[in-house]
Parts: sequence; structure tokens; C-alpha cells
Amino acid sequence: MKKIFLPLLIPSLCLATLLDFNRDVRPILSDKCFSCHGPDEHGRKADLRLDIEKEAKNDDLMAIVSGSPDDSEMIYRIHSEDEDELMPPPEIGKPLTGKEKKVLEQWIKEGAVWAEHWAYVDPTTHPQPSVKDKSWSAHWIDAFTLADIEKSQMKPGPDAEPTTLIRRIHFDLTGLPPTSEVVRNFKANHSLHAYATQIENLLASPHFGERMAAYWLDLVRYADTVGYHGDQPHNISPYRDWVIHAFNQNIPFDQFTREQLAGDLLPNSNIQQKVASGYNRLLQTTHEGGLQIKEYDAIYAADRVRNVSEVWMGATVGCAQCHDHKYDPYTIKDHYQMAAFFADLGDRGFGGNKLPANRPPEIQIFTQDQEAELNLLTKEMERFLPKVKQVELGRLEAIQKKLSASIKKAKKNAKPELEIKLNQNKDQINKLATSQQITGFKSAQQKKSALEKLGRWSMIAKAGKPRTMRVLPRGNWMDESGPIILPAVPEFLGQIESNQTRLTRLDLANWLTDAEKGKGKLNARVLANRIWYLLFGKGLAPDLTDFGGQGTPPEHPELLDNLALSLIEKQWNIKAFIKDIMLSRTYRQATLPAEEYRSFQVARRLPAEFVRDNTLVISGLLVPAIGGPSVKPFQPAGYYRHLNFPKRTYEADTGEAQWRRGLYVHWQRQFLHPMMKAFDAPSREECTTQRPQSNTPLAALVLLNDPTFMEAAKAFAKKIVQQGGDSYRKRLAYAFQEALSRPPDAFEENTLAQLIDDQKSIRSESWTPLARAILNLAETNVRR
Amino acid sequence: MNMHMDSNLINRRAFLAGTGLSLGSAAFNTLLAKDSSQPMYLLPKAKAKRVIFLCMAGGPSHLETFDYKPKLDELNGQPMPESFTKGQPIAQLQGKKLKVQGHLTKFKKYGKGGQYISDFLPWTAKMADDISIIRSLVTEQINHDPAHTFMNTGSVISGRPSMGSWVNYGLGSVAEDLPGFVVMTSVGGRNPQPIASRQWSAGFLPSRFQGVEFNSTGDPVQYVRNPKGVSAEHQRKLVQAITTLDRHRNQTINDPETDTRIAAYEMAFKMQTSVPELMDTSKEPQHILDMYGAKPGDGSYASNCLLARKLAEKGVRFIHLYHRGWDHHGGLKKYMGTCCGLTDKPTWALIQDLKQRGMLDDTLVVWGGEFGRTPMYQGKGEIGRDHHIKGFSMWMAGGGTKGGFGYGETDELGYHAVKDKVHVHDMHATMLNLLGINHQFFTVKHQGLDWKLTGVDHSHVVKDLIA
Repeated sequence: MKKIFLPLLIPSLCLATLLDFNRDVRPILSDKCFSCHGPDEHGRKADLRLDIEKEAKNDDLMAIVSGSPDDSEMIYRIHSEDEDELMPPPEIGKPLTGKEKKVLEQWIKEGAVWAEHWAYVDPTTHPQPSVKDKSWSAHWIDAFTLADIEKSQMKPGPDAEPTTLIRRIHFDLTGLPPTSEVVRNFKANHSLHAYATQIENLLASPHFGERMAAYWLDLVRYADTVGYHGDQPHNISPYRDWVIHAFNQNIPFDQFTREQLAGDLLPNSNIQQKVASGYNRLLQTTHEGGLQIKEYDAIYAADRVRNVSEVWMGATVGCAQCHDHKYDPYTIKDHYQMAAFFADLGDRGFGGNKLPANRPPEIQIFTQDQEAELNLLTKEMERFLPKVKQVELGRLEAIQKKLSASIKKAKKNAKPELEIKLNQNKDQINKLATSQQITGFKSAQQKKSALEKLGRWSMIAKAGKPRTMRVLPRGNWMDESGPIILPAVPEFLGQIESNQTRLTRLDLANWLTDAEKGKGKLNARVLANRIWYLLFGKGLAPDLTDFGGQGTPPEHPELLDNLALSLIEKQWNIKAFIKDIMLSRTYRQATLPAEEYRSFQVARRLPAEFVRDNTLVISGLLVPAIGGPSVKPFQPAGYYRHLNFPKRTYEADTGEAQWRRGLYVHWQRQFLHPMMKAFDAPSREECTTQRPQSNTPLAALVLLNDPTFMEAAKAFAKKIVQQGGDSYRKRLAYAFQEALSRPPDAFEENTLAQLIDDQKSIRSESWTPLARAILNLAETNVRR
Repeated sequence: MNMHMDSNLINRRAFLAGTGLSLGSAAFNTLLAKDSSQPMYLLPKAKAKRVIFLCMAGGPSHLETFDYKPKLDELNGQPMPESFTKGQPIAQLQGKKLKVQGHLTKFKKYGKGGQYISDFLPWTAKMADDISIIRSLVTEQINHDPAHTFMNTGSVISGRPSMGSWVNYGLGSVAEDLPGFVVMTSVGGRNPQPIASRQWSAGFLPSRFQGVEFNSTGDPVQYVRNPKGVSAEHQRKLVQAITTLDRHRNQTINDPETDTRIAAYEMAFKMQTSVPELMDTSKEPQHILDMYGAKPGDGSYASNCLLARKLAEKGVRFIHLYHRGWDHHGGLKKYMGTCCGLTDKPTWALIQDLKQRGMLDDTLVVWGGEFGRTPMYQGKGEIGRDHHIKGFSMWMAGGGTKGGFGYGETDELGYHAVKDKVHVHDMHATMLNLLGINHQFFTVKHQGLDWKLTGVDHSHVVKDLIA
């Protein structure tokens, strides 16, 4: 965290080295010039574009004359003392700094060498740089990082201590702390081989999927409620479980993409793939009375474009909703063409104030156990009565029912005839099967339909007739003057080859991940950068959301390129990709911020969910089951009082559901659980690529006073008394080992002793204050 | 984009300032604007130091409060001329026959400025000379949730900071042991519209700038009370042990974040005493309680107005009160009676109380809903009106505004703002101006763009409102 000033220092480079257009110049042009001289033709001034080389160097305007700052109008203008001539115009409020002016001048002097925006150029393989310290590591990633460290006249930081490292890989791969036993073993043997084995074990753990899902769900804005107005719940938790499962099964990212964007369009798609297509339903919807359907068609379309472009492309195509993008080559037409991919989805449901919200289509999902039981019951039904006879029985019984009803209503003289028919019908039933068979069959049938009611529902995508889509000038949904458009990818990125008349979501998914025919290589860079961020706390390109002109260029572009290509080479194998990075020495560095060292590792507080999980593990309360309906932990009374249509009261779960992982906590978009919120979990109204890390009194109050944390402290105290030994020192050592994987020092022993009235007490109440203190420590809640 | 980095920077500043809550974040911008010593957005002088925003959620009818249109009564019951409504957005009246609905109350002129105010608001009428009524507001959103989001964040897309967060971000908070942005919602009234916590979200600003909800019933702030069975003394010892151990450990790891954390724990412990104390109005003199019509702990709008004054005294920068129940699709007359009955006098009392303490001069008070209501009849139950966004009324008082003054006009039926239109962004620009902030330069970078509270289009400060 010490290195926070580094990104600020980069622009203030020493001007002796040659300038790099993408790194040094484009960010200035983009930030200070493009809003009037960029891609958006409506805002363009003096008919000058500085985002295209040919236009910027156009002979008429002579804005930029390569090699000659003195002849360049731009240089004259940025130095002008005449307010009418000065660029950028003072009223814009974005003056160039002295350094920026120098950079522009120097760059023109050096020949004004142009380059395409880095993020729109496919990554290429860069040779490993040579390093001075050849003994540091043989891992290919380390060659890049070490070369960089050496270039900045620094040394790589020391390796992390075994205890730190084993905790780190556990948090990074599962979001849970290691057991004391694992720590002890690793301390005894932390050879590279033992380390690799640990990584493999963790990648194979079912908690790996939970850890990755926690991040993915932020990206795709997964939540349990609709978001707008009444914020009613909707059925989607099976999608969450599918994400966990997909990461655990290591489904390659291209397939992972296809199933989410177009699971319903895959040939013979199975139930799981249909659940995955629920991605398309994760957007916020409204069920407010008086909604104008066309307005919300437009709102939903824009929401989908924002999300798909931010999640997969690291692009802000959403910014082109009202006009051409100000900084990137996305046109307003691109925006609506992209939206048109989703025009086959309904989501026009307005179910009033129903709980859960009325959002068809949905599909019903059963657990494996339920599925097995259902199969058994089906077989049992068939054992009593073969399928053909089941159908026949159904038919006869329907007739019987009808006849019985008719008899009741019939006039006296009509009754005998009907009764004869009824008896005939009964005979037919008796001939069909014995009463024993029928009873057996019916009993199984009843059990089956009772079980079927337990299935969970999940929203899915289902292609319908696509709505007619138009470009909406200025984003105005009431304006129908724009041209009708068909699905297409942004024009400057090429097009999708197809012999179909209309492209589908499946075409889009393939284009996003296909390295040859689509933009898989570009998008691999986006994903590689985000995985790097998960493992280091900072992306190689610091801006995880926007790879466009206004984003921050990567600090290590070569390494990022090679990582992106390695993802492709590994055929989008996420586990293999992660393992490769974790085996590097760069990953294993300590986070110590000593000035002369440089480390890529950033210490950080655990994400909200893992703050909860970690406490529950330490206290022994965690119920580690995977998946299922969302759960409701304790929550302050009245927290939902502002919700209406209908009004809601929150009923906390009891029993095991109370102690599930944070990932499963009911995600109420408008009123996210206050514990989650205090630790920066997002509302998931929009895509979140990187959560902020706040450090507020409200978060302190949660750890101090939230009943969940109080209960955890009590349980931890009980564990300490029962398992910690018979003296204060032994118990404290045990408690520290459980929570921090290390023994306490003398100062810690003395300080905590003051919280215990009676050190001999075996009443867990006496030890609760100590347990609370340990659970509240910074160290307990930080991943180093 | 660089929020992670920025928040660290801010946290460092926070640590230097000694507390996680109150700091001059203006200093932070100075760091970014490397070449200038002063954030560009600060104007030489500020008239207002703080804002109390009285949000009448649901959308009060401008036609039964401040906007008198004789023609409306004249055409009562007749079809609404299509020239007004053609091609305009419409909410619950979609596909219905539109007819003119005359005023459901009487208007009189009040104060030196002779401002029209309806009989529903006798107490507001008494302070006609304190308030500037804007009768030409327009907004862009016709449904409650997005309209609130637009009113609070200047955008309809979720994830943008609300104005309270912006103001704290720009000016910092001077409240010693309280958050700089406090939100309170009152009980009472008719079936209230929901209000999402998005309305006080810090959006892409660091979460420290988010509005903190204070409750006048139950726990004043979530988790502010000790767990059952834990005494104040035990809690004090506990917090002391935690901070001592964090400090001790930090000698080895030397992480500035830990220092911020220690400050946050100390502040949290202080808040455990200061917040319940502040929220307890039982020690206020009886005549003050009577003036507002507040009973301690009743959670009413009256109590919240009184608390707003107390928060303002403590230096809280932005105080946002919500009173819900103004969504009168039907039974408008009856429910206007209810809503005005609960809010009119306390609002008056707040202004008078601020005035008598010399605080109205630097406290900007804003009154209004997320939109207005149609000149057309709606009949859900008794007579009502639908949502309306093309012209409605709000008022401002104190904080450097003129008072006794009306601004802008709607057309003869109260449909379109026709003279001196004030877009929501213009209102934001004006509020920021009063607070000493030039809205054009008040930007923060997110996803590569320079975001403003006042949007991308040209918004203007309504200079006529400023004294």
C-alpha cells in the first residue's frame, strides 16, 4: 500500500527516455482534448479530430506537424496567453499541467509517433526479458516482474513467511483460513513441492468455486431482489449455485461465457445450461405501477449493454447510449446494435406487487438428492403401473370424475343411465389394475408431487420473437425517428461472419471468446488482469473496468499480453492459469512495504463475505454446505421498514442456515445486509470490478456489536476453554493459533490478560471479551 | 477507476487528520490537481455551510401547494387540451381519458412578496418571506424510484453518488464525532412509497461519504448499542485492547491502513455515546418541543426536524429528511390534509429555530418532492392526480437565498414550465454555488470519465435566487 504513489509518478517520467504514445501521450489527449476533438461528432469543434492520426496530422489544420513543435498549431494553442485561443479552453476547467505540455511538445519533437490504442490491438507474445539476478527465479512471470524491478533500481521484496503464505493461498483460493493443522504441517515442510501440492488441494476444494463466484457475482450484478421500487425478491439462487459449480468443474471460460449468455440457445441444452442463461435476467427490473413499458424496454436494453461490455470486454459501451462515445470509437449505433442481441428476451413482466416478483420464464431445479428421490419415485410408480397404464388410468379417472359430477346434478330420470356408464367405467379400471397396484401407484405419485413442490425456481432466458430495435437519438425512448437496426458487434472491432439473417446471443458469446474469429485475445487480457488483481490486490492495468482511452494503460503491458495469450493457450483453463501465477515467486513475495524493495503483493482487508466466513470458521460455527436458497442472518430490527409493495418483515433464519457463508446471504439490492454494506459489498445494481476498501466506524461497530459476531465470540470462547488447555497462556496460544496462525508475544499476552477477570475460570463467558478482541483485530481480518 | 488508490490516499489523509470521519477532503483534490494549490472547484466565498433537504417523497401536488392557476378551475372537468399532453410521458393515466382537475383548495397571497400559497400550508404561509418558491422545476423521470435517484444523484443509472456524498466529498465534514451526511425518515402518513438506500449511496466515491441513516426510534444507528450484557466499561476496555494490539502489531508491519482502522475504532466507541445522546430530544426545553410539535422518541417528522437542527449545530454537512406518503393518485384532498398536518408546522418551526439561533444564514433548507402531479384528474378512490415531471414546485430558504421571492412559471394549466425553467441539474448547480462550489469544475474521475453531479449538458446556476 506504500506504493500508492507510483501510478502518479509514471506520467512525471524523466523526459530523457523516448516517449510511448499509449503510455504517455494518449492519456493526455484523451482526458484533455477528446471531448471536443474526439470520436463524438456532435460535440466536435473546428472539425478537428485528435483521436485519429490522419486527421490530427491533416495538412489544413496543421494541429500536429511531426518533428516540428513550432509549426504545430496544438503547441501554439496550449501555450497561448490569449484566452480565446488557449487550449483546452479555460471554461472547460481542465488545464494542462506544465509536465503535460512538455510531454506533448517532446512527443511531437520525437516525430509524433502514433500507435493504435493498446487495448484494441491483439496481444502479442513478448520474449522474456533478461535479468541481472538470474538466480531469483526460473518462472517466466518472474522474468518480467524482476526486469521491471531492476529497471527501477530496486530489489524484489523478501518471500512471504510460510505462515503468511499458507494463509494467503487459503484466502485467495477459498476465502477461508487454513486449519491449525495445515499451518503446522506447512511450517514444517514448505518446499516448493509442498506448496504446489497445497495449491492443487485448494483448487480441488469445493470452496474454490465459492471464492471465485463471490467475485463473478459482483461482475454480473447477481442479487436476490429486483432492485427498483418495491425491490421484491425474484427466483435466481440456482444461477449462483451454477456459477460455483462451473468454477469447481473448471468449465473453460469460453464455454462458461456461452452458457451464461446463450445457454438456452445451445443445441439440446440441458437444465444446468438453461439455469446459466439466467445471466440474462440478472438486471434490475421494476414492477412499479404506472411504468411505461417502452421506457423500461430502453432502460433494460442499456443495462444489458453496460453489463456485457464491462464484464467481458472491459469497455464502457454503455456510455454511447445517448451519443457517440466521447473517448472511444464506440458509436451510438454500436450501442443499439449490441442491445439488439438481447431483443429476443421478454422481461416486460409486470406482476404488480407479488412476492416473489412475477418474472417468467423460470425453470424448476432439484438438488441431486431430490433428483434421485424423484427418479426412484418415478420408477416405483412404473413398478406398480406401467407408463401406458398410467395414462389410461388417468383417462378413466377423468371420465369417472365427470360422470360422478353429472350424476349429482342430473334429474332423477337421467340418473340410471349415467350410473350404468359409471359402473362400466369402474369395471374398466378394475380390469386395468388391481386395487393394490393402484394404491401403490397413487402413494408414490403423491410423494412425488409433494417433493416436486420443494424444487427451487430460477429465471432463465428463452428466445422469443425479437423486438424491433432502433437507434434512440439522445437515448430518448420516445423518439422513433432513429433507424431500425439488427444485432451486430461494434463496427471498429470487425464483424461476425454468419449466414444467418439475424445474429444471436450465441454468436455474441462466441465472438467474445473466440481467439481467431472473434475478440477472444482482447478479452483474455481483461480476464487475465482481473485474476491478477484477485491474487495480488492490484491489476497490471490498474483500471479493471475500463480498457478504453480513459482507462489507465497497463504498467506491465508485456506481461499482461503474455498472460492473456497463456489463457488462450490453456484453452481458458482458469485453474491452470491461476496455478501458474501462484507458482511464481512474484506471487510469493511478502507485502512488507520497505522502501528499497518492491513487491507486487498488496495487503488488504478481506472482502465482506470472507470477513464473516473467517469469523465463523475461527469460532467453529460455520456450516460449510455448498449452494441452496439464500440465507438470512440476524439483522437489525426494522431495517426493511422503508420497503413497500408489499411491506416486508425480515425473519432471520434459525439453525444451520444462520451460519452459512457470506456468499449465500440474501442480497437485497436496496437494503443490503448492513454488515455486508459496512464492509463495502456492492448493492449489485451495476457491474463491480473492484470493491472499494473503506475503513469506517460503521464497520467497527459491526465487528463489535453485530449479534452474529457476538455469537461467534461466545462460541470461540467456548472452544478456547474446552480445547485450549488448562492455563491462561495455553488458552491464549490456542486462540491465537486458531485465529492468526501464530503464537502471541508477551505484550499481547499482557494486554489481553486485562480483559479476563478470572484466568482459571472455565466459564466461557469469562473468555468472551478475549475472543471478541481477537476477532476484532486488524490482523484477523486482513489478507497479507 | 482509481478509486482503490484514491481511497487509500484519502485514508492516509484521514489518518493524518486523526479521524476516519471528519477531514477536509478538499486537500485530497489538491493532491490530484498537482499544479494548483487550491481545488479548482472552490469559489472564493461560500454562503451556505450546510444543507437540510426536506424531501417530501411521493411527489406533492404543486397545484395544491404553490402553483395557483385560475384557468384550471375554469376548465374543471373538461377534456384536457391535447396541445398540452400530446407526445408527453405519462404514468398511471396511460390510455385513460384525460380531463382537467381544478384546484382542490384555495390560494391566498402572503408576505411582502405576495406569494401564492395554498390553504393546506398555513404555517408555511406565515414564513412566506423566508422562502424562495421555484415554480418551474422539471425532472426527467416519471416513476418514483428513478425520479428520486435522479433528484439525488443527477442520473438515473444506479451507482452514482448522491448530493450529500458529493458535498461531503467536496467540502469535508466538520462534525467531530458524527458522519457528515445523515439521513432520517419519519413515520406517519399514508401508505408510503419505498425509499432505497441507493438514495444516500456514495456511489463511486469512497464509502466514507455515504449517508448514514439515523433512526429516531429503536437503535439510533445500526449496531451502535453494546451487545446484551456488555457494560460501557467492558466495551471501553475491549476497544482499548483492540486498538492497543493493532498499534503494537503495526510497529512490525507498518501499514497506514491500520492507523485509519484504529481511528475508526476510537470514533466508533465515541459514537456509541454521542449518537444516542444527540438523538435524545427529551432534554430540549418544552417550548422548543411544542414549537415543533415533537414528542421525544416518536419518530415523527416533527422530531426529525428538531434533530436536524441539532445535527446542524454539530456541524453535520448534509442532513436529508424523508417524509413519505405524498403519492396522491386518489383521495388527494384527504391525504394532503394528513401530509401537511404532519409536516407544515415542523417545517416552519425548523426555519424559525434556525433563524433564532442565527443559523439560517448559513444553512440552506430545501423543500420538495421528486416530481409534481398532473393537472389532470385521476380517480383512484376519491379525486387524485398522477405523477408529473414537466413543471412542479420546490422552495429554498436560508443559506444565502433571497426569500420572499417566487421564481419561474408554468403554463396556464400548470403543465409545462414555461418561464425560467429550472432543471434538477440547475437546482444542484445552484445549491453547490451557495455552498461555494463551482459545479462545472466539481468532477471526479470514474471509469475514465469526469463525473459531475450536474450532468453532461450545460446546467446553470439560478442567480436570481441568490441574495
